[in-house]
Amino acid sequence: MQHKLEVLGMVCPFPLIEAKEKLETLPSGDELVIDFDCTQATESIPRWAAEAGHTITNYEQLDDASWTITVKKK
Amino acid sequence: MVGQMIFTGLLCGALLGFVMQRGRFCLTGGFRDMFLAKDYRMFYALLIAIAIQSIGVFALIQMGLIQFKSGSFAWLGTIIGSFVFGIGIVLAGGCATGTWYRAGEGLIGSWIALFAYMLMSAVMKSGVLVPVNEAFKGYTVPTNSIPATFGTSVWPFILILTAITLYLVVKHLRKPKVAIPALRAKRTGLAHLLFEKRWHPFVTAILVGLIAMLAWPLSEATGRMSGLGITTPSANILQYIVTGDSEKYINWGVFLVLGILIGSFIAAKASREFRFRAPDAKTTISSFSGGILMGFGASLAGGCSIGNGLVMTAMMTWQGWVSLSFIILGTWTASYFVYVRPRLQAKKQHSASVTVA
Repeated sequence: MQHKLEVLGMVCPFPLIEAKEKLETLPSGDELVIDFDCTQATESIPRWAAEAGHTITNYEQLDDASWTITVKKK
Repeated sequence: MVGQMIFTGLLCGALLGFVMQRGRFCLTGGFRDMFLAKDYRMFYALLIAIAIQSIGVFALIQMGLIQFKSGSFAWLGTIIGSFVFGIGIVLAGGCATGTWYRAGEGLIGSWIALFAYMLMSAVMKSGVLVPVNEAFKGYTVPTNSIPATFGTSVWPFILILTAITLYLVVKHLRKPKVAIPALRAKRTGLAHLLFEKRWHPFVTAILVGLIAMLAWPLSEATGRMSGLGITTPSANILQYIVTGDSEKYINWGVFLVLGILIGSFIAAKASREFRFRAPDAKTTISSFSGGILMGFGASLAGGCSIGNGLVMTAMMTWQGWVSLSFIILGTWTASYFVYVRPRLQAKKQHSASVTVA
């Protein structure tokens, strides 16, 4: 199943904190689509996901200072 | 002379702003993550920048190209001010330099923090709080230089710092790495390198150290006898605007901080990372109060995370290292109250309601 998390307008480290908390509530194998606009999160979210062993199934820039990333829970 | 000051100041600032924006060089985040995630990467990066600057600047001093006097150590102001500054940067979402470069990314919250920071610095330096500032400065010991305290040359200390830094960096780089997914590259060559590729924090740190070193001769050539500095120049902008006294308030540092804004804007715009982004009410209040605490703290401590944490540390002064320690303690204290405690309480309430049900 796919879930959506919008953390637009939030500055670091809140996008990452919100993403971590949301993913904790999901069952293994579910996907979380995170839309964010905090520049620093382009580094911190993928790094956290990779180090925690989750899979990133999509990661792209949508527009000026606007990104989306999909994390599949391990 | 004035032309040179404008040109080299803006250039040095623009380089710094560009490098910090592209390298995501955020000291606030780095100090916070030491506490929240036991992640010391940014702290090691800061040590690299300090060590490089230290070697370079003392070599320039040895060659007689620049001058430096470490002066006295206002210990009480440094301790209290740095701690308050540490709390402020967590609330503002970035240190003084971080706030300048995020303002260049179009974050309106950072503009608000920046204004509060300038305002409070000016209030402390030439406004109604001058007596408070001076009362703290009464608690001063005459020697600020660490080597002078021990009666030795500065080089053994630089050697020790370099050895510790190399040890920590090598240890960190030897750790098994996880492949971190990156955005698909849309550009090639130099454009990819400058405006797209993720920069390793240690590479960014080397560049920051070199820019910090370069700042010394550039600044001293215009008669301002110090290196990178953010707080006094930021206050100077506001002081100049309201008094019109260019003689007193316009100096190389003013163009340095304006350059940071320009450099980070260029970096963000070219990387498609610039957009005006407005904060919500809660973030606005937090940014403003953070800026006020930053201005108060940095003025009391005689420097921010750059002036004290990057520059005065490299100059091997007590002020630098004591300040850096208390800035870090301040960020940890604020991190506990801003990130850890609210979530612990939320969990407690949640489990309590589950038990009742």
